[in-house]
Amino acid sequence: MGLLRYTLNRVLQSIPVMFGIAVITFLLVNSMPGNPVDIMLAEQEASPELIAAIEARYGLDEPLHIQFLNYIGLSWILGAVGIPGFVGSPPGILQGDLGFSMYYERPVADLMLTRLPPTLLLMISAFAFAIATAVPLGVLAAKRRNQPADHVSRVVALIGVSTPSFWIGIMLIILFSVQLGWLPSGRLVYPWRDPSHYGLTSQWELYYQTVRHLILPMVALGTLQMATIMRVERSSMIESLQKEYVQLARAYGVSERKIMRKHAFRPSQLPVVTLIGLNLTSAIGGAVLIEMVFSINGMGRLLIQAIQTHDYQLTIGTTVVIGFVFVIGVIITDISYAYIDPRVSYGEEN
Amino acid sequence: MAIGEQQTQEDSDGGGDGVEANVGWRYTLDKIKSDATARFGLYVIAAVATVAIVTTIDANLSRLTLGRVEDFALAESVWYHPERHPDPGTTERRMPPFFVEGGSLEHPLGTDRNGRDYISRLVYGTRISFFVGIVATALGMLGGVLIGAVSGYYGGWIDDVLMRAVETLYAIPPLVLVIVFTVFVSGGDPDITYAVFGVGIAFIPVFARLIRSRVLSVREMDYVEAARATGVKDRDILRRHVIPNSFAPVLVLATLQIGVTILIVAGLSFLGYGAQPPTPDWGEMLRISHQYMHSNPWMSIWPGLAILITIMGFNLFGDGLQDALDPRIK
Repeated sequence: MGLLRYTLNRVLQSIPVMFGIAVITFLLVNSMPGNPVDIMLAEQEASPELIAAIEARYGLDEPLHIQFLNYIGLSWILGAVGIPGFVGSPPGILQGDLGFSMYYERPVADLMLTRLPPTLLLMISAFAFAIATAVPLGVLAAKRRNQPADHVSRVVALIGVSTPSFWIGIMLIILFSVQLGWLPSGRLVYPWRDPSHYGLTSQWELYYQTVRHLILPMVALGTLQMATIMRVERSSMIESLQKEYVQLARAYGVSERKIMRKHAFRPSQLPVVTLIGLNLTSAIGGAVLIEMVFSINGMGRLLIQAIQTHDYQLTIGTTVVIGFVFVIGVIITDISYAYIDPRVSYGEEN
Repeated sequence: MAIGEQQTQEDSDGGGDGVEANVGWRYTLDKIKSDATARFGLYVIAAVATVAIVTTIDANLSRLTLGRVEDFALAESVWYHPERHPDPGTTERRMPPFFVEGGSLEHPLGTDRNGRDYISRLVYGTRISFFVGIVATALGMLGGVLIGAVSGYYGGWIDDVLMRAVETLYAIPPLVLVIVFTVFVSGGDPDITYAVFGVGIAFIPVFARLIRSRVLSVREMDYVEAARATGVKDRDILRRHVIPNSFAPVLVLATLQIGVTILIVAGLSFLGYGAQPPTPDWGEMLRISHQYMHSNPWMSIWPGLAILITIMGFNLFGDGLQDALDPRIK
């Protein structure tokens, strides 16, 4: 019950932030001199009538604040209530309409639906890789503090936080695709597609290819996350192992194995979960670069394409959705606290 | 009593003789000196800084004295000469490093596609990473410290408004924010200057949040209370008492954040929105070498290593600084 109310609260709190993201992106994109139609028609001899017609079609002939109200979807609401001047306004973000891409000539929301899944697949597998490697290594390092295993893990973590993810990607491609020829160097195979789309016969073959294509980008994107998680896991475990209750358990003759698993491990995971939530932002930035290196048609690559083609609405739409994904990710991490630490109360009355 | 406390604070800041203080600059320096990894980090930073400063001075000299043969030769090995290579993209003049067939010791790490010496470009690329890393981080720190300190000190609606704004900025991934800022604010003509401001703005939130949490505890201190009671203006209290006493963790964060800045700017240049050709820059070099992964994989290795070593220096030093400034770690 408390959890439900907390979730609802967090979602409500994030509304001003989401609104702010839309404002900032809208202003940034519109700070560019000229307007999208000029840029789109830069190489063509267009008559003033044509330009005016296109501008009217995309609502670009309105003043900027009206354009913003249109984009957010407030004009539509004002129109629906019957305020004169707004009647007949187009739907906006609030109505689920993210605008229209001039370059692709498709609604932005449509493009998102095809581009978001690959990015999520990449990010989720990168975090899975990071957690699956960092947590055991961090625990091992804490257990064998100041021994060779600890030193190795610290060096790995240091290199991990100091290396650009896209360079790791390039190095992996050079080593495993170009030199050894073991793994494909780019594009993903999507497990939700029909196997015949890739000329494959069975579902298992499709999964096999998905994994093969995913390994390199996953490692490239996950290394930074692995390094930061490992550091926090290590220091958090060291702190737990020094707690009095752990020493008490030890004095009672509880086996080291059990102490590790029951007394030290669980409470050490809270900082790790916080970190994963905070790391989402660097992971999304990293995904943009990794998608470019591995030619993955995800959100990041869409954003870069939108910027290259000066597609205003697509740029705003992609940035806003990326911001929303982050905000939702943080809410999910906050909520998963409750499952790990029952002491967290979420502002309930005692 | 309150004034007395402030006095000891100042004493220990100066590393007062005879007093067993475990805070203050001299103590911090001593701890870093005794920490081998932090020392190593400092050496790396010093080396990178030297290269960056020397190449900057030299580049200015060669610009002033353009026409002198030796300076021009150097300039040509780093930048291309518009008259000699009118269309550098069309002529393919890459050379592999000396240990690969076809390479020579004249260009130990080979040349890029315009026939420019790779080592020279690597050395000159240091400037962008180093200075952009420091200046952009400093901008973010300045903005973040101002916003965070005001927010934490005044509280109330000012705090609410500023923190919502900071949270919003924080919700847009830095790289994405910097790309959009650089491209659109520059009017479609991105440049490293825009990148510096973009990164600075993108980093305001991390600094603002950190210093705000520190200020919240510092503003309750007796010496702040005393200053307020004696009628010191809020602005002076912030400047003289609150910010200086909340600053230590900010300094640690700034050192570590320089590494992140260099990562982001490298990524930005890799996408083509950072340093513009013909300026030598590691991220830009990776962008070009990415196209030659099959024919000359070595080109991709060196700039990445340079980035790795530089960032590692800042991270090692930052970690050491953190240990030295954290009173809990003995």
